[in-house]
This record gives sequence, C-alpha cells and structure tokens, in this order.
Amino acid sequence: MSITTVCIIGNGDMGLRLQELLSKGDFRIMTSRLEEDYAEQASSADLVLEVAPEEMALKMEVLKDCDTRCRKETVLATTTANSWVTKLAAATGRPEKVIGLNFTKNPFEEKYLVQIVKGLQTSDDTVQASKEFLEKAGVSVARLEETPGFILDRVIASVVNEAAVMYSAKLATIEDIDRMMKVCVNWPMGPFEFADSIGIDRIVETLDSLSQQLGPKYLPCFLLRKMVHAGWLGKKTGRGFYNYAK
Amino acid sequence: MEINKICVLGAGVMGHGIAQVCAQAGYQVNLRDIRDELVESGIGKIRQFLAGSVERQKMSQMEADNILGRIRGMTDLAEAVRDVDLVIEAIVEDINVKKDVFRELDRLCREDTIFASNTSAQSITEMAMATKRPQKFIGMHWFNPPQLMRGIEVIVHDRTSRETLETMVELCKKLGREPGVCKDSPGFIVNRLLQIWYNEGLNMFDEGVAEPRDIDTALKAAYSFRMGPFELRDMVGLDVALASTSTHYRELMREQFKPPRCLIMKVKAGELGRKTERGFYEYQPRGG
Repeated sequence: MSITTVCIIGNGDMGLRLQELLSKGDFRIMTSRLEEDYAEQASSADLVLEVAPEEMALKMEVLKDCDTRCRKETVLATTTANSWVTKLAAATGRPEKVIGLNFTKNPFEEKYLVQIVKGLQTSDDTVQASKEFLEKAGVSVARLEETPGFILDRVIASVVNEAAVMYSAKLATIEDIDRMMKVCVNWPMGPFEFADSIGIDRIVETLDSLSQQLGPKYLPCFLLRKMVHAGWLGKKTGRGFYNYAK
Repeated sequence: MEINKICVLGAGVMGHGIAQVCAQAGYQVNLRDIRDELVESGIGKIRQFLAGSVERQKMSQMEADNILGRIRGMTDLAEAVRDVDLVIEAIVEDINVKKDVFRELDRLCREDTIFASNTSAQSITEMAMATKRPQKFIGMHWFNPPQLMRGIEVIVHDRTSRETLETMVELCKKLGREPGVCKDSPGFIVNRLLQIWYNEGLNMFDEGVAEPRDIDTALKAAYSFRMGPFELRDMVGLDVALASTSTHYRELMREQFKPPRCLIMKVKAGELGRKTERGFYEYQPRGG
C-alpha cells in the first residue's frame, strides 16, 4: 500500500506547518478546517492526518467521522501526544488502520522527528506505509509501541525528575547542573532548560502516567508538583526553573 | 589562596591531559607516576599533542616548547609534591590505594597544600577523612579528553572550606574551564544524570517498546543529541557501562539505577560494543 494523497484535518499552526513540511514529498495534500465539511477531501485520501486540539473527545469525534467517510483502506492518523492511540483506534471500525504520528520540531535545527505510535490493534502494514510516506517527505521517524510519554517525553521527563531530586537535595544549583550537562557531555540543553521549554505540567503528567503504568520509580519529585501548584509551568508562564519575566 | 605550582599524580589518559592543560595556562607542573616509562609515555603524548597543535598552526613552536618546559616528569613522590600548592590525584580508581597515597601526601606536603582528587566514582568524603586536612580536600572531576573538554565538576564534602572551594573555582577559570559545584554524592552531577538517560532508553528496549535504532534516532533528530544512548554505550563498552550502572544502583539504592536486562545479557554474551565489533549494533572490523 502506498500513500500519495493526504488530507490534513485541523488548520491551527500545527496543521499549517505539517502541510508545509509534507509538501516536500511528492504528495497531493489537502487541508481542511475542523469546522468545514471535509467529507469530499477525506474520501479521496490514502491517509487522513487529524490535527485537532489535544482533547480526547474531539479527536475521537473526528476519527469516527472520517471512518464513515473514507475508503476502507485509508489510514487514519492521530497526532496526539498522549497514550490514546489504542483507545481512539478502537472507537473506529478500522482499528488496524489507525496509527499515531506525533510530530516534534527540533528546537535547534529546521527538522522534525515523527514518533510512529503503534496501537495494540494497529497492523504492521499500516506502520510500514506510514514510515515510507514520512521518509519520502524527508522527515526522521522512530517507531514504538504505544507507551506513556512515547520515547522523547519518557526519557526527558525521567532525566528532569532526577535533576529535580538533586536540586531539591541541594547537591548543586540549577545553573551548574544545566551547564555541566552541556559542557561536559555536549547535551544540547540542560535538564532544567528542557523542563522549562516542554512545560512542567507536561513533565508531571508524563511522570504520573509512567508511574501508574510502570511503578513508583517514576513518581514525580515533589518539587515538580509544587511548581505546577504555583503555576510555574516554564517558559509559557514566564516562570519555571528559570525566571523569564524580564 | 594563590596557586603557582601543581603536582599531577598519575600520567595516564587523564593525568597527562590535566598536566598539559595546567602547563598551557602557565603553571609549573610536576607530573609523577610510579615508573619511568609511565612518566615518559605521558610526556610523550603531551609532546605529540602539542606538535599536532603547532602543525595546525594553533600555536607556535616556541609556545609548545615553553609549555613542555613547564612540565617536569618524575617518579619520586616526595620530590614531586615538595613545595607545590596543589596536588591533583589521577591514579587508579581504587579507594584504598587512593587513601594510602593521600595519607602519605599528608606527611610529605606543606600544611596549606590543597588535595584534589580526579575520581569519578569514589567518595570525596572518605578520602578527605583519611587525611588530617579535610578542609583542604576537594574533588576535581575532569572529562576525557581533558585537553578538549571544557567542564570540570568541583566536588565539596561537608568539611571542605570556603577558601578551598573558591581557590578551586578560580583555578578552573584560569585553566579556561567551566566549573560546576556539586556536593559529594554518587555520580556527582553528570554521571548520575547520564545513567538515567541511558537506563531509560535501554528500559524501553527491554520492555519491547522500541528498537535501539528508533530510540537513538528519536533523541538525535528531535533534540540534537550527538549520539543516542545505545550508540554511546557501545562506544564506551558495555562491560564498563554495566559496572558503572551497578555502582550507581548499589550506592544510590534506587530503582532508577537498576541495570537494564539487555545490558546484563549483552555482557554475558561477550558482546561488549565496538571493541568486540558487536554490541547493540554491529560494527565492521577495524582496518578490515
């Protein structure tokens, strides 16, 4: 199965950026607003990419609607960053054709990484077709079985959690911890810089979800939870581990 | 306190590099190892490194000669530490050997000489308390290769004096290095956080979530890490990796540091990474 016609549903910033990104491949790309009637576009697509706001009910509604309008071989992809792929897939009549395609923009370079998330019922063919499609568009891909935080958030949240434990214990300052990771082992950012740019709330959500699925070693450091309570969510609120309000 | 003269103990990979950086910054350095050929080998590598710098026009022949002229190789411990302001210890990573050496240094050195250990794995507190000058004892953890890596972890224990810390931070800056201060604890800052980063990658492989290639690709493509956890583990050697993770697990006594099963199995299989041409990945034979 080969993907040549793509329909992106949802025209927020992300939808537009994905359209631009995917236009590097030789595809026919159609973009539709959520509130528009996308029936015709969806019915001609080999792959529908849902870029609705990150709300489970909303995403489920779009996917169920596409399920009724698309050809039976069309792949339905969700951009969700949450572990909802299996659940969203099960709400459609084609769970083997539903897949997660989560896009992360590299903060330092003009490139993306797509985490291809295989739900419990997603078929290998669907994974393979999605991978080939994305590689034709020139983006890097990483395949994974659905897991809390996927690959990226899971690794980064775990590092942030340990760094928060070290800072809470007053072993070292925020600045020294970040600087050492950058100058001693060439990390692109220190753990606290990662935390502030990803969002402390998102880090805590990932850790909560990991600890629920995989055990107490992922429980968030209490400092992180207090920061969420205080509204110190990182760059987006002007205050996280660093103060941005200047 | 002002540092003018430094003794570096151990002329191995770390020791000779540290001696070179100190001499390049203008300090007089005694480079000491236990046998002549070890000292000569260390100084030979410094000479080679400097010759390379001259060739690439990074420095003049005269500068290179002056740097070498500031380094004196020797094997006699008493002579090596006589009249130095700072001893940087970079010998074998064995706590008992290190403690013995520091006890002897305690007798041989001036009372105000600062002792710094370049250990990455041993307790600064334990070494400091083996001397009669715990307030003058500090950790100075360099990264490999010392000539090129800009960061130094400065490790204090409960009794390190403020003056000793300030002297060391100042010295790092004069050496053109960036210090980061950390209280004595297993893995300090960098190795402790690296363990988590490695382990979390390897755990996902153990759980069947993703393959090494996908995990490495994700971290490199999304965040510009230069290498992924599996590639780095293979490069360093999986036996070394397992020993390091096991030490952290034993000393920090937390689940996060538990050695992943895939690492244990690779070591059992003798697949130790690049050096055996097979680890998490396969490699072409060298020169083959």
